[in-house]
Amino acid sequence: MQGGKVAITGVGETPFLRRSEESLTRMLVRASLAAIADAGLKPGDIDGYIGNRMVPGSDDLGPLIGMEDRAFTAVTDVAGGTAPAGQALILAQLAIEAGLASHVLVPYGIQSTKPGGVYGFHAREHLKAAFEMPVGFFGQPVYFASMANRYAHDHGLSEEELAAVPISYRKWAEITPWAQRREPMGMAEYRQSRMISTPLRAVDCCLTTDAACAYVVSAVERAKDLPHPVVTVQGVGVGTNNYPHGVLFTQKPCTYAYPGKESAAKAYAMAGVGAKDLDLAQVYDGFSISAIVQTEMLGLAEPGEGAKFYAAGHGAPGGRMPVNTSGGHMSGGYVPGINLLIEGVRQLRGQEGPRQVQNARLCAVAGLGGNSHSTAILARI
Amino acid sequence: MGIPDYPVHSDDPQLQGFYDGLAAGELRLTVDPDSGAYVWYPPEVVPGKPDARLEWRAVSPEGHCYTYTTVHRCLLPGDHSQEVPYTVVLFESDDAPGCRVPGVLVDADHVTPACGMRLSFRPVAVADRVIAGFAPA
Repeated sequence: MQGGKVAITGVGETPFLRRSEESLTRMLVRASLAAIADAGLKPGDIDGYIGNRMVPGSDDLGPLIGMEDRAFTAVTDVAGGTAPAGQALILAQLAIEAGLASHVLVPYGIQSTKPGGVYGFHAREHLKAAFEMPVGFFGQPVYFASMANRYAHDHGLSEEELAAVPISYRKWAEITPWAQRREPMGMAEYRQSRMISTPLRAVDCCLTTDAACAYVVSAVERAKDLPHPVVTVQGVGVGTNNYPHGVLFTQKPCTYAYPGKESAAKAYAMAGVGAKDLDLAQVYDGFSISAIVQTEMLGLAEPGEGAKFYAAGHGAPGGRMPVNTSGGHMSGGYVPGINLLIEGVRQLRGQEGPRQVQNARLCAVAGLGGNSHSTAILARI
Repeated sequence: MGIPDYPVHSDDPQLQGFYDGLAAGELRLTVDPDSGAYVWYPPEVVPGKPDARLEWRAVSPEGHCYTYTTVHRCLLPGDHSQEVPYTVVLFESDDAPGCRVPGVLVDADHVTPACGMRLSFRPVAVADRVIAGFAPA
């Protein structure tokens, strides 16, 4: 697969809310229609649909959006951010290049306030129910906190360095009108945040959000006739490992070794660029620790130096490599992976007002999804 | 420090050997009898060997802490506010490097947990069951 053949031509989302009264389906329809309109298209122009196991399929959503010919439909089968920020881009390009579809819609949403909460799927995992839950090892903050302590053992990680991650992203959220958490945060405010599982405080964890997002992928030649500057998928890669979700957080030789180096290598090779060529990045920040590790895996910092990257201010407004320019998942909103991808597209369009990264031409987007990881390289041509 | 109180939700007979071991005061892991290798946690199917049947084997109660965290807000279903804080560790027996058993850190009131610290298996009675616990060696 070659880079630069398809473009993200439309993006849309619903407001990022702590709790929405709307159903997931209604939010997905709103976000999809917004993305289609943003692309300058009509619902009937959409002939491709890539869903996910977490959201309704095209059988249900297609008619509600107004699709007429569902010529190509598919479902991503990886978890979390890897699906909409990586695998869906691969599937969309395959469909377009094969002539199966002209404009592919990728909707994705989350209802964190649904019954059972965001950790419900872990409780259904029988190995966790048998071995982990009876001793209280349960829930993402606990899993990632245990990774953070191991990372600190291996590389060193001070409280100030860990805090620098959410503080850096919060600075971006302060200048993002729709971000969920915009109040200024320094070390004093960080230390007031509730400890969840050492060393992770509430502000080291992604937000809980009810919202949906969507984007449209089209061939580059068609994108040139559409309203916005052309933002291409210059590279995309997915990395995986062979540790199923039931053992992922305990038995992997290094529990924080996500397959991010692998996904980044594939994406950079396809794009023909390296980390030094990037103008900005969006990093899947489920937790401070996972953002630190992925920052290293993208090549923005040396191994073991990811936290120092943020402590030095490199990722903050005015820094040499802006990261998570709408506040990321920890301060902006949490619709896994896809709102980071959308932020990347908008930055490359050059329409972000006070938080616009000047002369942004190349953006990496990292998505984490359990035992998979994606890297996408977006470019403005 | 507290102890989490949450029942074992498993009706999988393949996993019962672990709790049989705890009740007997032993830490037992699963072994592929063909290769002699530990396969942990026991998967539904041994990778590439659908006919394989794992066996439970007691391992050394001595080992070390791979990692840990002290939970201040328990995310288990239900109200566990009276049980926090508690510290969970991922324990590696000296007999089975890389095979990690989650458990509660006990008898450690004046000990700062750390990766690499030596630990001894110490089963803990909670309500009507026994769970995995580990104490500083």
